[in-house]
Amino acid sequence: MGIILMFTLWGSWMQDAYALPAFARKYQVNCNVCHTRQPRLNSFGEQFLENGYQMPGTEDGGIVEKLKYGDVTLDQVSNYLGILFGLNALENTQLRRDVPGSGDQTDIASPTILRMFTIGTFAKNVGFLVDSTTLFAQSSDLELGRAFVTVNNLGGMDWAHLRVGRLDPSAYFSFATDRPQFIPVGPKLAPPFGSFATPAVDRWAPMPSAFASKFYGLFDRSRTAIMPYESTLYNSDKELGIDLHGRPFGNWFLYQVGILNGGNERAGDSNHSKDWYVMTRFDYAQSDYFSANLSGFAYFGNHNAKVSTGADVSRSRYGVAARLRYKWLDVYGAYTIDRVTDLPSGMSATFDATASGVTVETHALVTDRLLLGVRFDHMDAGGLLATRTSATFLAWQAKYYLRSNLSMTIRHDMNLRDAEGGMSAARNLRNLFSMDLTAVF
Amino acid sequence: MRVQTLMSYWLCLSIAGLIGHVSSWAALADSDIQLGQKIYERSCVTCHGEFGKGDGPAAFYNSAYSAPRPRDFTVGNYKFRSTPSGEAPTDQDIFRVLTNGIPGYMPSFSGLSEEQRWQVTAYLKQFSPDLFRESPTVVDLPDPFIPFSLKSAQQGRSVYLEMECQACHGLDGRGTGATTLMNDLADSRGLQISSTDLTFPQSFKNGGTGQDIIRTVLTGLDGTPMPSYEAQLQGRSEDAWHLVNYVLSLSPTH
Ligand code: HEC
Ligand code: HEC
Repeated sequence: MGIILMFTLWGSWMQDAYALPAFARKYQVNCNVCHTRQPRLNSFGEQFLENGYQMPGTEDGGIVEKLKYGDVTLDQVSNYLGILFGLNALENTQLRRDVPGSGDQTDIASPTILRMFTIGTFAKNVGFLVDSTTLFAQSSDLELGRAFVTVNNLGGMDWAHLRVGRLDPSAYFSFATDRPQFIPVGPKLAPPFGSFATPAVDRWAPMPSAFASKFYGLFDRSRTAIMPYESTLYNSDKELGIDLHGRPFGNWFLYQVGILNGGNERAGDSNHSKDWYVMTRFDYAQSDYFSANLSGFAYFGNHNAKVSTGADVSRSRYGVAARLRYKWLDVYGAYTIDRVTDLPSGMSATFDATASGVTVETHALVTDRLLLGVRFDHMDAGGLLATRTSATFLAWQAKYYLRSNLSMTIRHDMNLRDAEGGMSAARNLRNLFSMDLTAVF
Repeated sequence: MRVQTLMSYWLCLSIAGLIGHVSSWAALADSDIQLGQKIYERSCVTCHGEFGKGDGPAAFYNSAYSAPRPRDFTVGNYKFRSTPSGEAPTDQDIFRVLTNGIPGYMPSFSGLSEEQRWQVTAYLKQFSPDLFRESPTVVDLPDPFIPFSLKSAQQGRSVYLEMECQACHGLDGRGTGATTLMNDLADSRGLQISSTDLTFPQSFKNGGTGQDIIRTVLTGLDGTPMPSYEAQLQGRSEDAWHLVNYVLSLSPTH
């Protein structure tokens, strides 16, 4: 199905050389006006995002080819509908040979991700985003991702922008975790699954450690294990909540506050309590092709996880991040500390309630088409002392852009601690090579 | 009602009034240029840079190793003018660019109000005060105007060949002339530049109508290899329009 769809899209794209992803179509500009290279945003793209999908400093609400319905003006469909297609062409996993049942595995050509998004503006200062993702590796269901409405420039230009719905809090952080250049590589899991069961990890997923869960032995409110590499806390790409951000004092300072349902729940609010966060960001320099920013956040969880006894615990996270851009170089990193509080008193001797993680990533645009990247991850894991294992990974990748919306990637993740041995999944994976193709329309 | 309540109402009102007064006074005190600066710092700075040198943090990514980079307003060779080569653009020229954007490279800022667009135009001129000291003269469009017809376009082809447009834009107008193919065309920053594909007027940066194209051809695009043909087409107003009509005829939609 996916393959057919891809070729259909491919065909329509080849015919119309000027068909570009939604915004590029709408504003008649190149993808790289907003992206360092798709999907990462450059400073102009960040401003456009902050202003709720309107040109910075404007309340345009989209300007080109609007359809009018009374007071409501809508963009033409092709101007707000976008599709991202990712094909994981080849994946080669090398596991430790002394671990029972493991060895090398090679997988070929599976369409991995189909993401559809509609982003745009209804009217001046009112925008929307809905995206849905199908991960073919897991199921072919269309899963609703983010879905929110933005109301912008409340109280004055850039004073306050409101987002309500299923949102991604980290979007304005120095290390924004959505739109990664290193596409997340999923894990391979084996039974036991189920209530308070922790699945066996056949292959660890190398994900940004700073934003990973880091704890062994935590469960979400539906009693499903939260794996240590999973993205959580301030880094969710779809949690129900309200978020406010703005730059009331000019370009140098950004604030963000928000409340989320928390608890890793798709719908409902079984814990009847909220998580909340606050973030501030400082920006420096706007010339000589240089800019830098520094930001910090605190995320306060409230009964947002469980331990195996069934008791509710609260997870919180504190983080700092920085980003530096100079000409063709883009460097960013984050350090976070996670804390579990409200632990049942009997568990304090067997559960480490503190964990930390660091991720540093850098990308260099060496030609107009070639982007080289390196990422370092280190996780000081917490949780059940009996099983917790820290992890350290290094990855590099080369991404070649055939066009600004079509890229080919080769990537290699290495486990820097496989020599330390042990049966843990964090040690089992030695090398992971992958080749991907991504197209955005 | 108690006196204290009244007093506090009054206090609130006067503070509100004071704030209102001070802010309207502050707004009056701001000149167009100061207001323009505020707009510039929000809307333009990440591309054009804090000091207008075209070196904002987002400037490098659009075309990292080839033309165009965002305009360096301090150097002052403006591409899109209605004025002779080497001269400053008119305010209307800058306003037009802001309103229409530059296809591919700079989004339209028609989301700014007209007043705001004039204000930011006033601010831009501060980056190269020498250039804007004298008020520019506008190049007259050749008179009489000759509307598009296939016959005129056919006559235009010989003007196209005579002016050697094909050296850069190619015989078929697709931007693959010999000079372009040799990859030795560069803009004033030394970045490699390609010659526009003339069969796709929607992508013309200076506008794709006949009026726009004649302006481009007569004034040239300063800072790029695209020369001004004002001298060569002097006194040949009919040929000038024939040439434009030939360019228009290259697009399949015409
Ligand atoms: C996304 C980056 C970007 C933003 C934002 C941007 N520009 Fe530009 N601008 C460019 C680029 C790139 C060019 C050069 C295009 C070319 O040379 O083909 C340019 C060219 C121009 C020109 C053309 C001058 C000439 O040569 O005639 C003017 C005027 C201008 N910009 C003004 C502005 C103003 C004012 C703003 C803010 C309201 C702004 N720009 C915002 C990228 C940008
Ligand atoms: C020396 C090479 C050269 C010659 C000769 C030349 N051009 Fe160009 N022309 C260019 C380049 C380079 C550009 C692209 C400038 C840019 O993108 O900034 C261009 C752009 C244009 C454009 C598009 C401007 C826009 O709005 O984007 C038109 C129309 C055009 N040329 C017409 C002509 C015609 C007609 C002639 C002959 C009378 C001619 N050119 C001769 C190099 C040349």
